[in-house]
Amino acid sequence: MNSSTNNYIKCNYIEHVNPNDLYNSYNGFIRGNMFPDLYNSYKLREPIEIKPENEQADMLTYLDGLCFALTDINLYLDTHPNDNDMIGLYNRFLNEYNLVLGDYEKMYGPLNTNSNALKGNRWSWNDSPWPWEY
Amino acid sequence: MAMGILGDFMWKYVKKLEYPICIDKHNLKLAKAILTQCGGPNGELGAALQYLAQRYNMPDDLGKSLLTDIGTEELGHVEMIQTMVYQLMRGATLNELKEAGLEGYYGQNGLSINLGDSNGVPFTTAYVSNTGDYMADLESDLAAEQKARATYEHLMDLTDDPNVLGPLSFLRQREIIHYQRFKELKAHYLDKKRD
Repeated sequence: MNSSTNNYIKCNYIEHVNPNDLYNSYNGFIRGNMFPDLYNSYKLREPIEIKPENEQADMLTYLDGLCFALTDINLYLDTHPNDNDMIGLYNRFLNEYNLVLGDYEKMYGPLNTNSNALKGNRWSWNDSPWPWEY
Repeated sequence: MAMGILGDFMWKYVKKLEYPICIDKHNLKLAKAILTQCGGPNGELGAALQYLAQRYNMPDDLGKSLLTDIGTEELGHVEMIQTMVYQLMRGATLNELKEAGLEGYYGQNGLSINLGDSNGVPFTTAYVSNTGDYMADLESDLAAEQKARATYEHLMDLTDDPNVLGPLSFLRQREIIHYQRFKELKAHYLDKKRD
């Protein structure tokens, strides 16, 4: 099977991407790509939606989206380190990520070993489920 | 596993996947096919090790940061592939293993994750290219992303399970982004060389 649109072949150096043109964190996350001009689908007509089954999964999906936005914009900034507009967007996502992460860890346990959620008498880092166990 | 966002020291484990994987129907043949993206010639393990080894020889900070960050993301992708293989084998009976032709795999590995390809060929650092010439290395990185993208398309051809297609499609898309960023790094070095 061949890709219908091979835009990954055509991509050249992009001088500047307007931060307003990016997907929002959830829509970028389900695509694996925050940059609409670089999005290239294969086999799927529409990206597959994440369907959280409970409140914890719903909050984790939101956190996953923010984390993904940071990952993808980080790589863009590595090759565009002087793009101040995008640095602004990165920092807005980072602030929101830190807030949501703190709330999530308070409610559902630590995702990191430097989490405030570990400041207790019980070592909750060991708690299941592990990421592969869902 | 996620990227250096909270990384105040060394590498840090984050107790979540980059993209969630919840496969409820086991499929042994598909598990075997997907295993190649763990320890196969175009897999995530080789890509992670290649970028993280090459970065020491990058001539400037753009190259060092990009190879560090993409190499780190690839380690998270190893975890995603291993999770897919684990969940695709979860709950399989011995009869199902035999019907899928996995007696050899089960005999050697049980239901653990073998660091090899779909045919049991063990992972080797011969898959990793590191020449000491940063332009040559960058070309091998561009190729690695394209080969991994092609492999994900082949794997997507093999299933219609949305719980498998979701993560495969996500991982394929990451190869496209990584390819783009490597191309930008290459353009940056070509301009520099002209100066």
